[in-house]
Amino acid sequence: MIRTVALEKRYGDTAAVDGVDLDVPAGSIYGLVGPNGAGKTTLLGMLAGLRRPTAGVIELGVERQRVAVLPDTPHFDPWLTAWEVLDLARTLVDRSIPRQRNDELLHDTGLEEAADRVVGGFSRGMLQRLGVASTLVGNPELLLLDEPCAALDPLGRREVLDLIARLRRAATVVFSSHILADVQEVCDTVGILRSGRLLFQGPLEELLVGRAVPRYLVRLRSDPAPVAAALRTRPWVTEVEERGDLLRVGVDSLQHAEEQLPGALAEAGATVVSLSPEAASLEDVFLEVMA
Amino acid sequence: MTAWRLEWLRLTRTRRWIAIAGVFLFFGLLGPLTARYMGTILEHYGGDLQVTVPPPVPADGITQYVANAIQIGLLVSVIVAAGALAIEGKPQIGIFFRTRATSIGEIVIPRFVVSAGAAAAGFLLGAIAALYETWVLLGSVPFGSWLAGTGYGMLYMVFAVAVVAAAAGRTRSRLATVMAAIVVLLGLPILGIIPKVGDWLPSALIGAIDGIPRGDSAVHYLGAGGVTVAAIALCLWAGMRWAESREL
Repeated sequence: MIRTVALEKRYGDTAAVDGVDLDVPAGSIYGLVGPNGAGKTTLLGMLAGLRRPTAGVIELGVERQRVAVLPDTPHFDPWLTAWEVLDLARTLVDRSIPRQRNDELLHDTGLEEAADRVVGGFSRGMLQRLGVASTLVGNPELLLLDEPCAALDPLGRREVLDLIARLRRAATVVFSSHILADVQEVCDTVGILRSGRLLFQGPLEELLVGRAVPRYLVRLRSDPAPVAAALRTRPWVTEVEERGDLLRVGVDSLQHAEEQLPGALAEAGATVVSLSPEAASLEDVFLEVMA
Repeated sequence: MTAWRLEWLRLTRTRRWIAIAGVFLFFGLLGPLTARYMGTILEHYGGDLQVTVPPPVPADGITQYVANAIQIGLLVSVIVAAGALAIEGKPQIGIFFRTRATSIGEIVIPRFVVSAGAAAAGFLLGAIAALYETWVLLGSVPFGSWLAGTGYGMLYMVFAVAVVAAAAGRTRSRLATVMAAIVVLLGLPILGIIPKVGDWLPSALIGAIDGIPRGDSAVHYLGAGGVTVAAIALCLWAGMRWAESREL
């Protein structure tokens, strides 16, 4: 859906985005994470056509008219009601969309009761939810969301995350966020940006399982102590930690674990209840990548 | 909610129309009154100073109106127009429109038309008030002359709003838009000092409502009128082009 080649944005000598090769699969929910000043907003701005790249290529697999953008702190004319804001967005994008779409989205974003209130009195969280609704009103194929959950309380955050998750496969979503738990929850693809450079890009699973120190969690019905001792003798096992009936087995590679761990457990006479790779949190991996 | 209705609501719901109508109406009513009683006022407050004021004529009522309205009324119109046309005064609002509208004209033209219409209507309202009160206090002004002069004045107001549209395309904040527009609008009459140039400038139209009732031919202002129409189109085109190419 989106492909960029050596995308660059410079402000004087400073590269806000530096040689980014973005690859966003169609129908995916792509989480763009990175510290402040990493270039997330600049990158989204270029994808939205609001900023011109200094160099590089952007290929969008969709017409500009089918792209919707949500800035990090949405603002609207304060004397309009929430319903009017949505209706204005709807009319600008596609008049043929029925007006009932406004009501649906106000309901979905929890703003139904505030529909006839002027937005000048809205809290930041309400503005954020209205911003999300105004982004969705045109049924876009590509959504570029800059920190969509930044100002939301837990309930509002849940509503917005559910809305984004529901878009999976119906639309492509790129959203930047500082809240890594949100990205981990709804994204299937992740890009980690630092100082304008893309340090990692790929499926979330690959990032979580492949990048963090690989570990397996083994739950046993039998006594774990002799099993732990037997595993420690294996050269591909880096550490074994006992936690009740659970063993945390550090391995030098996931491939070794996949090939040899079941056999090693069987040889040790273990009665295995469950066996799975330990999924690192995105925060662990993010900190590791940043380091 | 179309972009046109949005602009209508901006004018009515925010009561901005009251500011425009109020200031022109005020000066429309004050102008002839000042002209009628100028002699009395100077006599009363002049102290020992002896000031001789010729008896007022009907055209003085209109002169007083335009002298006052074209300063404060123009400033209010520019501020109101900048509120609508400086779309990117808040970048988030700019993003809302820029990423939804199919062209920049879809956003700018309704804002320009409604703002220019309000400014021109305000000028007309004040001119009607001035005409009526001049008739009551000083005698009648030839209606045809008044109408031609008012038409030129309204055209100048439209030009002023077009300058705001151009300034909004070039600057970011509303304040900067107002300042830039005011500099251009005040700077133009200075250009008029150059011989033969002044008659062709949009600012020449300000004098039409005063000059035509005093004997100037309406045709005399046609050149400036034509230049003004061209300048309006140029300002709008430039403003949209600048706004479109600006990064957010």
